[in-house]
Amino acid sequence: MQPSDGAVVRQVLAGDVEQYRLLVERYRAEFGRYAVAAVGDRDLAQDAMQEAFIRAFRSLGSCRNPDRFGAWFFRILTNQCRNAVARRRDVAGLDGVDPPGGERADAALERQELGARLEAALARLTPEQREAFVMKHVDGRSYEEMAELLGVGTDALKMRVHRARDALRATMGEQP
Amino acid sequence: MRRDRTFTEDAHRYLDGEPAGQLGAVERSAADRLVAETRAYAERLEPVGAALDEAVMAAVRRQPHAGRRGAWGWLLTPRPVRIRPVWIPALAAAAALALWLVPSRPDRRIPEVGSRAAAAPDTVYVRFELAAPQARSVSVAGSFNGWQVGALPLVRVADGLWATTVALPVGEHRYEFVIDGTRWVPDPTAHAQVDDGFGGQNSVIVVGPKGLVRS
Repeated sequence: MQPSDGAVVRQVLAGDVEQYRLLVERYRAEFGRYAVAAVGDRDLAQDAMQEAFIRAFRSLGSCRNPDRFGAWFFRILTNQCRNAVARRRDVAGLDGVDPPGGERADAALERQELGARLEAALARLTPEQREAFVMKHVDGRSYEEMAELLGVGTDALKMRVHRARDALRATMGEQP
Repeated sequence: MRRDRTFTEDAHRYLDGEPAGQLGAVERSAADRLVAETRAYAERLEPVGAALDEAVMAAVRRQPHAGRRGAWGWLLTPRPVRIRPVWIPALAAAAALALWLVPSRPDRRIPEVGSRAAAAPDTVYVRFELAAPQARSVSVAGSFNGWQVGALPLVRVADGLWATTVALPVGEHRYEFVIDGTRWVPDPTAHAQVDDGFGGQNSVIVVGPKGLVRS
């Protein structure tokens, strides 16, 4: 049985740094997909996630509720992802955005095109809309889970997701 | 001329997996297409891989020990502190009181705190109040209870006013109110607020053995 987040945090704070790997593995698996979709570039997402884990480690003594490390870490990660998106926009501009993940030879061409179109449209959303859309439709989370992680009410999150959908529809148009 | 269309409320409900009315053909097609595009995007997405784990661990092994960032680390870390000018005399009085107390209390212990705990010699009853008319619940969480949410609930005492009395150990404490279990707010009447390092503010309360220094 895996130890709880709180138990791991207390072990790390007591000096057993290696236990931190448990949290890294747990939340890399939980949020690794979100990070790539939120940033739009796998390498930049990895950098953002690494920086988030290091910042969380440095500030672990300030984690108010170690049993809810995941939600605390998610907010640090979200900030790092937003910074990565801002840097990416500064460097490349919106037109320079490439779909993440590279081409997969075994995927059908049409599905690749579909995914790439959505990626390009996601890049034009606000960071808040993109985060909300990704959490809802890529990660498949409920609005209640999203509210727990983001610390934002479900009504506000629904609004963000609805606006994101409307913006995506407008960007992608009605026809393929 | 192309006209950008937004989804109807029924279409949003359909996309949320909630009961929705009958969708028109165009609306249904647009919603299904968005679902298909998202599914295709998600399938080709490569999440952050396991190589990250060792990279993080290599970095944190070079960091100062995380435990030092606890109470001592917090105290030893320089940080900006914002204090309202009106409270400077009160803080000066608190500092003088603290200096006067230290030699006479070499064996001071910090007792466990709870909302119904009897006040030990080194504790003082402190009343916390917050005006929050829309709140469904309010609790106070701070350095005195390990920042546990909900462990020290306030009760509604008057029109929109919430309050509780807590026995606090002598010393300086940081705290915030938690509204409806999720929203952290500093105490607007606290004599000082300090940066919590994450863009928020912690309120500060200084408790002396013969009374309380606060607003």
